[in-house]
Amino acid sequence: MERLPILSLITYSPLVGAVVLFLWGNASTRAVRWIALIASGVSFALSVAMLLAFDPSQAGMQFTETFEWLPELGIAYRLGVDGISAPLVGLTTLLTLIAVIASWDPIRHRVREYYITLLLLATGMLGVFVSLDLFLFYVFWEIVLIPMALIIGVWGSANRVYAAVKFFLYTLAGSLLMLVGIVALYQEYFQQTGIRTLDVLELAQGNYSPTFQFWTFLAFFLAFAIKVPMWPFHTWLPDAHVEAPTAGSVILAGVLLKMGGYGFLRFNLPLFPEATQRWAPAIVVLSVIAILYGALMALVQRDFKKLVAYSSVSHMGFVTLGIFALNQQGLSGAMVVMLSHGFVTSALFLLVGVLYERAHTRELAAFGGLARNMPIFAAFFGFFALASLGLPGLSGFVGEFLALLGGFQSYRWAGVLGTAVVILAAWYMLRVYQRVALVRAPGEPPDPDDPELRMAITEGVPPVAGGGDADQHTPDPRTFPDVTWREALTLAPLALLTLWVGVYPLPVLDVIELSLRAILAAVTGERM
Amino acid sequence: MPLRLVAPEWSLLVPPLIVLGTIVLLLAIDAVSERAARQTALPLALVGQLLALASLATIDWGEGTTTFGVSYRADWFALVVSLIALVAGILSVLVSAGYTESGLEPGVGLAEYLALLLFSVLGTMVVGAAGDFIVLLLGLEMSAVAVYALTAFARRRLTSVEGALKYFLLGAFASAILIYGMAWVYGLTGSIVLSDIAHTLRTVVTPGQPLDPALLLALLLLAVGLGFKIAAVPFHMWTPDAYQGAPTPVSAYMSVVPKVAGFAAVARVLVQGLQPLSEQWAGLLGILALITMVYGNVVAIAQRDLKRMLGYSAIGHTGYMLAGLAAFTTGLAGDRSVGSVLFYLFAYAFMNIGAFGVIAWLQERGLGTTLDDVAGLAGRAPLAALTMAIFMLSLMGMPPLLGFYAKYYVILALIEAGQLWLAVAIVVMSAVSAFFYLRVVTQMYFQEPGGTWRPVRTPLLGLGLAVMAVATLALGLVSGPILELAQRWPAALT
Repeated sequence: MERLPILSLITYSPLVGAVVLFLWGNASTRAVRWIALIASGVSFALSVAMLLAFDPSQAGMQFTETFEWLPELGIAYRLGVDGISAPLVGLTTLLTLIAVIASWDPIRHRVREYYITLLLLATGMLGVFVSLDLFLFYVFWEIVLIPMALIIGVWGSANRVYAAVKFFLYTLAGSLLMLVGIVALYQEYFQQTGIRTLDVLELAQGNYSPTFQFWTFLAFFLAFAIKVPMWPFHTWLPDAHVEAPTAGSVILAGVLLKMGGYGFLRFNLPLFPEATQRWAPAIVVLSVIAILYGALMALVQRDFKKLVAYSSVSHMGFVTLGIFALNQQGLSGAMVVMLSHGFVTSALFLLVGVLYERAHTRELAAFGGLARNMPIFAAFFGFFALASLGLPGLSGFVGEFLALLGGFQSYRWAGVLGTAVVILAAWYMLRVYQRVALVRAPGEPPDPDDPELRMAITEGVPPVAGGGDADQHTPDPRTFPDVTWREALTLAPLALLTLWVGVYPLPVLDVIELSLRAILAAVTGERM
Repeated sequence: MPLRLVAPEWSLLVPPLIVLGTIVLLLAIDAVSERAARQTALPLALVGQLLALASLATIDWGEGTTTFGVSYRADWFALVVSLIALVAGILSVLVSAGYTESGLEPGVGLAEYLALLLFSVLGTMVVGAAGDFIVLLLGLEMSAVAVYALTAFARRRLTSVEGALKYFLLGAFASAILIYGMAWVYGLTGSIVLSDIAHTLRTVVTPGQPLDPALLLALLLLAVGLGFKIAAVPFHMWTPDAYQGAPTPVSAYMSVVPKVAGFAAVARVLVQGLQPLSEQWAGLLGILALITMVYGNVVAIAQRDLKRMLGYSAIGHTGYMLAGLAAFTTGLAGDRSVGSVLFYLFAYAFMNIGAFGVIAWLQERGLGTTLDDVAGLAGRAPLAALTMAIFMLSLMGMPPLLGFYAKYYVILALIEAGQLWLAVAIVVMSAVSAFFYLRVVTQMYFQEPGGTWRPVRTPLLGLGLAVMAVATLALGLVSGPILELAQRWPAALT
């Protein structure tokens, strides 16, 4: 049957854009931006078409493409999506498009190289989600590293080189052992069946010994755990986020971290069911630590971006908790948290970027009272802060509720502890909202009608200007213009999606359900 | 026995004869007119090697025909070795383009330089086709002696002469040990023909039994001698000095082709000749591989001179390739060990000659060879930086570059042979190697440029670098046919 290879088209249209940019050496900056926009736009439009054509009543792979590549080694070009990968493909193309728009004004030097790198990154990420061949998957998995490190290292802020190298080495070290795991799996399957293949679906049919599963699980687990990142493999994340340009942070938080969660779902669980059950309790412990630790660290940050980065660690803890609770609610919750985190945290990074464009600092102490002169910004910020802390009716709540429910069913204590942390999330998110949007700006004279101030005067304490220890050279936040239409354009779709998934999550749950059930059946050994 | 003169099978000798003819032509033109030589030498060396490469297609390698008795073998292994040597030779001539135009000292001819380079290529082809110890040694020395001279080509620079002297002394020493080992084997088996040695040994050696001490001594001597040739630790001492001291295009060449000759010799001697002792030497090579890759990669971290760093990195890669040989199990079809090493050498030719080529390119523009000299290259010369980045990432083993496929095949060979520990060692060392390869990339992309920059045009060198970069980028994706060819070695070596 002749069908449109839609997954290849989605994956490679950014690459085509990158090649065009590479060959067109003297393109004007304007042309460069438009080409990047068109390439990512085409990819996005195709992925929307793919999602619309996706049939949720089917548990298997859809839109599959297979070409022989290195048949003697069992390597083939195999693509396909199921209910887990299809939404992530959509998320990736959306966030790529948003990243292109978000970089429109802030990126001013080496613009052509920047967009080439960004588009290459997009192709790598999409390849990760659509590959069904372990070799192909590994190739894409590693390809992602280079452009991401370049984006951090070339277009990042002050300490960018350190952050880029740390990110690269950390994630590379993690994934190299996975390579040994992949080859070992291939060999084990060959010895059992006499078939040389790296087809994920076929390898999942194998029956591996517990010891083999134990170690191979670990090899895969390390690669994914570093990417998620789980505590204690998270140390690259705050550095990378803080130094990355806004669009880099969006992609990093929105997509790259999901590659870890996706890896667990696609590989660890179906390939190594017994090892999954053996390792699950330990991983749940790590997840709960991550949830707690991320939230506590977020509480004490003075850098806006670092705060969001640590909140990511906490949110991703819900993902791994949900996955390794090993029940339907947990898995669904993990998937929804991944999507929701993709919308909400990306939006928060965009908001930090908006402020950084105006203030050139991310110190929380430099801001205040922005709700007055930046009402639209404050509205968006309030919305996403609430979504991040898990307000019912927004997407974060649906995912975290399900993940906690799953956690509660399998490990009561994990559910209890995880739920308690939601309070911390409210604490740090509302604190930062108050700091940025509500309280007095640094240097702003106190309001004479402030009752607190009147009390202070009567008690003889000199009035303090807002802000405190912020650098005096930062611009006055009261002069900041509100978000531009282009900035609003990047935020609005994310807000809509957050609201949609929060109010009416059923279509999303429908899409993911059957695939998750198949994975769960593979792990628990039940037949569907 | 009456002496019988048999005419050799000339058709099998066409490729090496074309190379030899080119050498003779080069020297003849140089003798007649130095000016004419300056103008024609470079194209001549390229065309000669390309012709030789094309002539490989005229021979039916599948038959395993021999000539000069059984001394010269035209089998699959010989084909692949010749192929790699010629490709690497062509690339090296391209890389030399800048140097030979501007860097040669007065009184030293361009034709001489290229003739020596081609001699070494010829020697490597002979090693690949060797059927007995004599031809093998002949090829090995032809390959090495030419490079000793090339290393000293910047004869007024002390480091160049020092590197050459060390290389020469240790190389000569190694040859002596190797010959001594061969003598022992001859004494024990009564033959210098590799296939006969294997045949005799098979009747003597019983698997699982401890080895006869004399045979063990012979094996050790051979391993030490060959270890020097391929720069395996602890026989590597000459490498960093020679790499750093030699003119950069020569470093490019000698990082690859003599290594090809060395590994071809290892394969011919151990895999073919001493195959019945594979139990012993595979274990030995495994240990050598581990030491070599750890030492090379760890010490490379401390280097600030790029050529020296690449010298140590070359030791690391020797370790990976040795690991591939250590995966030898049966020699039957399906054994990937030698095939993976051949593929690795093929891949290594592009990325390593390329890396040295970029350094040569920088030197043409007045820069040095340290890490500081590449700082900010991405801003100054984006394409050169991109090219270098491709080579560095490929040497590191990043997919989808050629180096990744090479490493993957070695890992595959090891895991299929059940040598998981060496596979793990390779990936761990790859992570370590990321430190120093990545540092080059960070310097180029994340730092500000320094040093004086003299823009010049080097079209031929640029073309060579472009070819190698594109090959490194794309050849992996279509590596099937090359791998398939490399994988035919069991027919030749068993």
